[in-house]
Amino acid sequence: MKKKLLAMALVTAMSLSLVACGGGSDSGSGSDSEGGSASGEAAASTGVSITVFNTKSEIQDQFVEMAEEYSAATGVDVEVYYSSDTVAAHLATRYSANDPYTISMVDAKDVYSLGEEHAIDLSDQEWVANTDYAISVGGKVLGFPVCIEARGLMYNATAIEAITGEEFNPDDYKTLDAFLGLLDQLVAGGMETPTGIMKEDWSMGAHYLAEVYEEQPDVEAFITSLHEGSADLANNEKWNSLMDTFDVLMKYNYAAGSPVAAEREVSEQKLAEGEIAFMFGGNWDWAMINAYDYSEKMGMMPVPQNTSDGSNEKLVGGGSKYFMIDSSDNTSAEQQQAAKDFLNWLVFDEAGNKFLTEDCALVPAYSNINADALDPLSISVKAFADGGNLIENYNYLPDDHYSINGASFQKYLAGQVDRAGLAAEIESYWSSTTPVEH
Amino acid sequence: MDDLNEKAARNRKIRHAVSIVILIVLFVCFIFPFILVVINVFKTKADITSDPLALVGSHGFTLQNFPEAMKKMDFWRSFGNSAFITIISTILTILLASMAAYVIVRNKWKACGALFGMMIASMVIPFQVLMIPLVSLYGGVFGILNHRATLIFMHVGFSVSMATFMFHGAIHTNVPIALEEAGTIDGCSRWQIYWKIVFPLLKPTIATVAIIDAMAFWNDYLLPSLVLARKELYTIPIATQVFYGTYSTDIGLVMAALLLAMLPILILYMFLQRYIVEGVTSGAVK
Amino acid sequence: MDTSSMSFKCRQFFMFAGITTVTFVAVVILPFVYGLYLTFTSWDGVSKQKPFVGLTNYASTFADAAYWQALGRTFIYSIIAVVLVNVVAFILAFLVTSGVKGQNFFRAGFFIPNLIGGIVLGYIWKFVFNRAFVALGESLSIGALSTSWLATTSGAMLCLIIVSVWQYAGYMMLIYVAGFMSVSADVLEAARIDGCTNMQSIIHISVPLMVSSFVQCLFLTITRCFMVYDVNLSLTNGEPFNSSVMAAMHVYNQAFTYKNYGTGQAEALILFIVCAVVGVLQVYIGKKAEVSA
Repeated sequence: MKKKLLAMALVTAMSLSLVACGGGSDSGSGSDSEGGSASGEAAASTGVSITVFNTKSEIQDQFVEMAEEYSAATGVDVEVYYSSDTVAAHLATRYSANDPYTISMVDAKDVYSLGEEHAIDLSDQEWVANTDYAISVGGKVLGFPVCIEARGLMYNATAIEAITGEEFNPDDYKTLDAFLGLLDQLVAGGMETPTGIMKEDWSMGAHYLAEVYEEQPDVEAFITSLHEGSADLANNEKWNSLMDTFDVLMKYNYAAGSPVAAEREVSEQKLAEGEIAFMFGGNWDWAMINAYDYSEKMGMMPVPQNTSDGSNEKLVGGGSKYFMIDSSDNTSAEQQQAAKDFLNWLVFDEAGNKFLTEDCALVPAYSNINADALDPLSISVKAFADGGNLIENYNYLPDDHYSINGASFQKYLAGQVDRAGLAAEIESYWSSTTPVEH
Repeated sequence: MDDLNEKAARNRKIRHAVSIVILIVLFVCFIFPFILVVINVFKTKADITSDPLALVGSHGFTLQNFPEAMKKMDFWRSFGNSAFITIISTILTILLASMAAYVIVRNKWKACGALFGMMIASMVIPFQVLMIPLVSLYGGVFGILNHRATLIFMHVGFSVSMATFMFHGAIHTNVPIALEEAGTIDGCSRWQIYWKIVFPLLKPTIATVAIIDAMAFWNDYLLPSLVLARKELYTIPIATQVFYGTYSTDIGLVMAALLLAMLPILILYMFLQRYIVEGVTSGAVK
Repeated sequence: MDTSSMSFKCRQFFMFAGITTVTFVAVVILPFVYGLYLTFTSWDGVSKQKPFVGLTNYASTFADAAYWQALGRTFIYSIIAVVLVNVVAFILAFLVTSGVKGQNFFRAGFFIPNLIGGIVLGYIWKFVFNRAFVALGESLSIGALSTSWLATTSGAMLCLIIVSVWQYAGYMMLIYVAGFMSVSADVLEAARIDGCTNMQSIIHISVPLMVSSFVQCLFLTITRCFMVYDVNLSLTNGEPFNSSVMAAMHVYNQAFTYKNYGTGQAEALILFIVCAVVGVLQVYIGKKAEVSA
């Protein structure tokens, strides 16, 4: 009997210790925070704690550091989280668990799909007047734009100039013909393969292919015609003009022998160090280029095209990554207020501005924020944005668009399908997909 | 006759040598990725990308990946969480599963059959099926996520079927019923018989289940990431995920984290290894 | 003491298996049943509404060609991987029980891949295939290595299989080692005296006596291969051209990336049924073989 008692005692003790430990770890899980003033004028703890979900992995370190400083200065406890999972999947689990983040950073399409149910109305906020990029759904401002990002051709001017011997001015290479001339000059000068191509489905499907839609004179009408099956992609002017350029990028690709094997890290390093001169991408690529011995003069230019519609003078982009504040009962009014204060701090406080533009090197989406200390790619983007030379993102592509069409595009890159075949695959995707309501 | 023996001995020697050579070749294949990890973990990211095979990168030898990885994953706190959760979950799984297996093996009751059947079937449920329902129930309805105890509870719930299955086999084959009958004659209750006679005989299986489950708990990412959504509760695998994004992977840090996370479990394995070989047999499907 | 009374049975059962049953049912069965219910809704995973739609999700599952392709691919992958894992594991087990020097060292070495988690493992192997092999191929000018295997459809499959073999062979080796050791030395000695060669005694004596090891290894490898996700995600992520998307990954994408949660859940359930049928069939056949041996 003694043994039995002993064993029972052991199991009980263990369960008790578990409960005790579990209880002890509860401190941070308070979704209902205990009141307190949220105005945050004093550094003493206000007892309000908010959580921020960050989806830009490259700024996670800076974000965590800033949160500590912000907490110390305002008394509002800010915890920054990051997940490598799919954003929608991760948020789905948090919503199901009744444990949402106070502030979530999401993509534009997520604001449209999640915002109405999960985000509070920010229309009365002061910063709304200072930006052209906020997202409104049903007349309410739900998404706070974190930064401006744009797509185009990244170039390494240092490497180009070393071969041509003259200053590189991207304006001289707006047309494909001029661009081709430069490439041949580079090849003749010893850079045998002056371009690189990112084979990732998001780069080709969501970024390059999307430009075919975004550069149409009437994007909505074009998307509708794709759904209806009446868009003749193979004979579309924009399609052919962008694909002509893609063919040139493919021809001079350093990884032409096995283009689908090109690793993003390797391509970025080659561009950074001047082994290649051009690659299609966006200013977010700086976070990777940054890790290598990058050249002094780099920047971004529009994708060269033989066209007269002006699209070869503009980058494609706009607001990117949006903050939403949770509207559910799991987030208290104090937390929502603290979250609003935090967004205001980003826009109107000098320290907040410094965090966005200097620490994270993001192109600000707000007219009142100055940014002089950006990285080279972002400087280009900012110049195009300030000059009104951005073609808008189209934010209503279906969720599986990038994956399925990106895969088709990869086949084209690998030479397994020709241009007509690729157009046919894309057309068949669209005709079998239900339109995204908006 | 002598001649024949000599020939046999020579043959055996040759066979032995061939075996050793094959083993070494296979061993190198198995270890190759780890060799690469060890070579590259002491290089900067730029050097890893430009020449993964070089012993020393052009930026020289660096230890930088270790402190950086440790800082970013808050190593000691994650280590403490992982160790606590792994140890308690493993002990509970072993105790509960062996007890359940005992009652299942020794009785032909309907409840036993039903429980065992469900357990076997549950071993082939893809975790994706349970993911959302699990958080909906425990977060949405009961509101008990974000506790280490909840994770331990779930770890036990998920691993108890496989463990029961292994103990079932072991009790079935390795515990002679005659010993138990002798115990009954001596006036022991079933409970006493279990702890005094059956449990000690299960040592090899206990070691096997311990290493298999400890390994699974230590390395598990998906379940902890669902249950523990607070930084102070993070285990090592959740803390490591910040090194691989959707768009890029910081391979140097991943490698450093891999080595750091592997050491404790390697030591445990070395310690338990001699029991394991005996243990797996007894878990055989019967 | 009346050991056949209902109350005795209940007390016994709950004393030994009570906590286990409660835990198991609460953690696995309840969510499973709730998950089953979700397959009858058109929930998108994030919305508050979960409209009941009956069998619509099962209809879209049957219409989802990509799912069936992924399932077919998973079959091919599983068959090859299961065979190779077991062959390699069996050979390893034979070698490390043949009495060579340092066999404990080798046993430990082959087991090491099991000590690290699936996701990290995939990233390391991706690095090996994409960088190390290619660098090796270039410096030694071996044509087959100079482009990454991950870039072609069949190459990506091959890579997945290689990693699976690497990952599981050590574990299965241990089970076979145990099997070899359970074959008594007397029987083998008798066979040797009767003039059996090594090969003959393996085929005719060891293998038949090790049927239960085979059944166990096959069950473990089959179920693991059918449900492969972690390595699929971190090693190939479905590339190139979505040609290496396995069933579990398709299910995950369907539910979360494409936001058709109900359909994803229904597809996962079908995957579960397939796994269960294959697993049960294999154990059943194995048991028959065991009896006849």
